[in-house]
Amino acid sequence: MEALNSSALEIFSQKIFNELLADEALTISLSAEETLFTRLSKAKVRQITNLIQAFLDLTFVKGNKTLSFTIPFRGVEEDVILAVKKIRESRTWMEKLPEDPYLVRPAFYGVTKEENLHSLPKNEEMLNGILDYANHVDLAGVFSSGDVVRATINSVGQFHWFKTRNFYLDYSLYNEKQKAVKSLFAGNEWDANALRVNLKESEDKLKMMDRESKKIERGSYRVYLAPSAVSELLGTLSWGGVSMGEHKRGNGSLRDLWEGKKKMSPKFSLTEDFSLGMSPRFNEKGEVSPSVLPLIEKGEFKNFLTSTRTANEYKVESNMAADWEGLRSPVIATGTLARDQILKELGTGLYLSDLHYLNWSDRETARLTGMTRYACFWVENGEIKSPIQDLRFDESYYNLFGDSLVDLTNFAEISPSTGSYFQRDVGGTKTPGILVSDFKFTL
Amino acid sequence: MNLKQLLSTIKIEADYISLREVKTTSSYVSVRNEVLEGVGSLIDHGLMVEVMIKGQLAYAATNSFMPSDVQKAAEVARDSALAAHRFGLYHFNENVRPKIVGEYKSPATKGIEHFHPGDLTDLLMSLTTAMKIHDHVISRSASYTIAEIDSHFVATNGSDVKQSIVRSNIGLSATATSEKGTQKRTYGDDKSAQVGVELIDKNKFLSVANKLATEALMLLEAEECPSETMDLLLAPDQMFLQIHESIGHPLELDRILGDERNYAGWSFVKPSDFGNLRYGSSLMNVTFDPTVIGQNASYFADDIGAVATREYLIRDGILERGLGSLESQKRLNLPGVSSQRATSWNRAPIDRMANVNLEAGSSSFDQMLGSIERGVFMQTTRSWSIDDYRNKFQFGCEHAQLIENGKLTKLLKNPNYRGITAPFWNQLKMVGDISTFEVGGLTNCGKGEPNQVIFVGHASPACLFSNIEVFGGGK
Repeated sequence: MEALNSSALEIFSQKIFNELLADEALTISLSAEETLFTRLSKAKVRQITNLIQAFLDLTFVKGNKTLSFTIPFRGVEEDVILAVKKIRESRTWMEKLPEDPYLVRPAFYGVTKEENLHSLPKNEEMLNGILDYANHVDLAGVFSSGDVVRATINSVGQFHWFKTRNFYLDYSLYNEKQKAVKSLFAGNEWDANALRVNLKESEDKLKMMDRESKKIERGSYRVYLAPSAVSELLGTLSWGGVSMGEHKRGNGSLRDLWEGKKKMSPKFSLTEDFSLGMSPRFNEKGEVSPSVLPLIEKGEFKNFLTSTRTANEYKVESNMAADWEGLRSPVIATGTLARDQILKELGTGLYLSDLHYLNWSDRETARLTGMTRYACFWVENGEIKSPIQDLRFDESYYNLFGDSLVDLTNFAEISPSTGSYFQRDVGGTKTPGILVSDFKFTL
Repeated sequence: MNLKQLLSTIKIEADYISLREVKTTSSYVSVRNEVLEGVGSLIDHGLMVEVMIKGQLAYAATNSFMPSDVQKAAEVARDSALAAHRFGLYHFNENVRPKIVGEYKSPATKGIEHFHPGDLTDLLMSLTTAMKIHDHVISRSASYTIAEIDSHFVATNGSDVKQSIVRSNIGLSATATSEKGTQKRTYGDDKSAQVGVELIDKNKFLSVANKLATEALMLLEAEECPSETMDLLLAPDQMFLQIHESIGHPLELDRILGDERNYAGWSFVKPSDFGNLRYGSSLMNVTFDPTVIGQNASYFADDIGAVATREYLIRDGILERGLGSLESQKRLNLPGVSSQRATSWNRAPIDRMANVNLEAGSSSFDQMLGSIERGVFMQTTRSWSIDDYRNKFQFGCEHAQLIENGKLTKLLKNPNYRGITAPFWNQLKMVGDISTFEVGGLTNCGKGEPNQVIFVGHASPACLFSNIEVFGGGK
C-alpha cells in the first residue's frame, strides 16, 4: 500500500500544512503496517489473517488551544479531503474551548530516516518451514511477519521515519499432561536452521515437564527468575511505575524511591536504552529521547519518564518521553551470576521461566501479584527435581530488586514486543535473570 | 458502490466470501484539575474479506474500498486459504456461516452529532470542581467518551446484516494524598452502555463526583483491611469483574479447545463438564444475553451472522453451555452462543463474551448484611489477576467496610481477596434481589493472537460469599 512509503506521508502533509493559518500548527503521526498473522494451535493453522492498515494521529494547535483527531490513511486524495474537513471542524470546536496552559507546541526536532528492510522469504515459505518441522509437536501461538512503520512530521519542518520488516513466532509447546514451555523466535533475517534449533531446544526442555508436578505450599522461597520472567516484571513499571506524571498525580508505584525514603539494591540499575534498536527514539510528537536515560542507578532514583506536557505542568525537565510515559526500550544491567552457576547458587528453591497476568496489588508499597506459568521447576541442592503446580505470588519491587536481590546473571536476553492490540508493536526489553533470596507465594 | 455491489465485483474461486465493513466514529473530552486535558475524535473505517475454500477459512483486511483493492484483498485471502489448507486445524463447511438478514440499532437517542466539546468541557470542569473539597485531593479527573460503530456484513450466501451501536460513558476519579498515603476512588470504568449523550445528568454526576472525593479523603484515615478468612459481600461493581474473569473467560470454548493457550490461556473447564460440573452453589444462575436493551454488548447477530439469543450458561449452579461460536461448537460438538466477534474490521472474529449476567436472587441487601457476623463489604475494582486456567485469582477493591454483627462499621482501606474459581462460587451464600441489581459494561476485554480488545456487558446483584480469604495492603 502506498501509505507505507515515506513519500506518501510527505506529499499528504505538505498539502495539509498549506491549509494552515498563521496562528496554526500541526503534528502528524503515522502508524502503518502490512502484516500476516497466523494463529496456530496443535501445530496447525487456526486462523490466517492478512492486514494492511495505516492511520494518522493529527495534533492541531491554534493559538494556545489544541485538539487531536485520528483518521485512516490510504495515500490517496480522499485522505486530504477528510483531513481538511477535520481541521475545519477543529477550528469550530476550538471557539468554545479554553486555552491549554500546558500546551506543547510543535518544534523542529530534526529529520531522520531509518529503514531496516531485510529481505524475508515469502510468508508461505516461512509458514511451511515452521509447520512442516513442528508437525510432531503440540504447538500453539502466532506467527507474524511484515512491515511496520512509525513516523511523525510537523508543520515546522521536523520529520522522522522508522520502518522495519520483521517476523516472530511466539509459541509454546505442550506435552500430554498439558504442561508447557514457551519460546520466541524472532528477527529481521530468516534462518531456517536457527528456527529448527529453537524448536528443538523447546522440545528438549518440554521433556523436563513430563515429571509429576510438585505442589508447593504457600510461603517464601529462594527463587531464580529467568530473563523472560524479569521482562514480565518490568512490564508492570509501565503502569505508573516510572511515569513522572503519575507520581505527581499520586498514582505512581515507586513514590518512596522517588522521595528518597527507600532504596533498592546497589546491584539494580534500570535504563531506557534506545541502542537496542528495536524502537524509534522519537515519540508521537517527534521529540527525540536521549539515547540512554538512567531511571534507577545502583538502587537509587535517577529519573522518571517525563513527557513535555508533564514537564510544562509541573515545571520539571522533559526527557522526551511518550505521552503515556511508559517504557519503550528498557534495559536492566547485568550482574555476576554465570549461566552454569544458576542452579548451584539457587540451591533449593524455585526456577521460574515465565510469569503471567501481573498487576499491582498495592501501589503504595510497590507490591505486585501474578502467577507462575510455563516451565517452572522445583530445585533441590542445585538439581532440577520436578515441574511445579502454578503458584500465585504477591511481592514488593522493593524486596525483589532490593533486600532480597542476591545477584543478576552476567548475561541478558532481548525480548522483542509481540503485542498487537490495534497495531503491531515495536520495541522490546533486555533483561538478565535474577536470583532472589525471599519471594512470597500466597496461593 | 454499496457493499453488496462490491461483493459482486470480487472475482475469485471460493466456496464462500463475506465482507464485513466497520466504521467507528468516536469523540472524547477529558478534564483534570479544572484544566482541559484533551479533546479529540477518531474515524476508523475498513473492510474484512473472508473466504472459505475447501473448508479452510482465511482473511484479508484493508482500509481501502476501491474495487481493485478489495479484489486484491480477496486474492490474498484466497491464496492464504489455499496455502493454509494442508495445515488447517479443522475444515469447516457452510453450516458455520448461516444465511442471515436483519438490522440492529441501539436505543441511544442522542448520537455523536450531539457531542458538543465546549458544553461537555464546561460540564466536566464543574465535576472536577465538585471534587475540590480539600487540598489533599490532588488529582481530580472527569472524561466523557462516545462511540458510534456501524457495521455491515454481506456474504455470498445472501447474508445481509446492518448494525448500528452508540455507546458512551463518563469516567470520574479522585486521588487523595497525605502523609498517611494515597487513596483513589473511581467511577465509570465499568459503566459503558448503549446510550448516547442523553446519559448526561449533571446533578447526578455532581453528586457522584462529590462522593468520590469525600470517600478518597476518608480512606486516608481508614484502617487497613484485616487479613483473615470471613464473609465477603461484593457490590455489583466488583461482581462485574468477578463474573468476567472467573465465569466469562473460562467458559470461552476457544480457550477450552486450546486455541488461546499461548496468550490468554487455557481453562479449568473440560468439554465433559458441560451438563455436569457444579460450578457454584444452587443460587447461581448465569445467562449469555445480547438481547438486553441498552446493555453494552447487545446485538442482533455476531460477526459471522449467528443470531443472538439468550441462553443459560449456568443454571442452579450447574454448568450448561459455553461461550463459543458455530466453529467452536462444531469442533467440540457442544452447544454454544452467538459470540464470534472481532475488535473491528482489522481482526478475524473469535470466541468472546457479550453480555454475561448473573441473574438476581431473592435476598435484600439488609437481609444479606444482617446474616453476617463478621465480614467485609467491598466495592469497585482496583486490581485483578488470575491464572491462565482461570483458577487462582486475586482481586483488590477501592473501598471496603467492616461488617460486625449484621452492621457496617469501620471503613477499611486497601481491601483484597483471593480464591479459586469453583470453590469460590460454591461458597456463594446469598444472591441479592433486583433492588441490588446493576447493569454494567467494560470496554477493555483483551484476548487473542493477534490481540483484540472488545466491549462486553455484565449485570449482577450484590452477592454474599462465605469463608473467603481477605487481606489488606502494606508489605
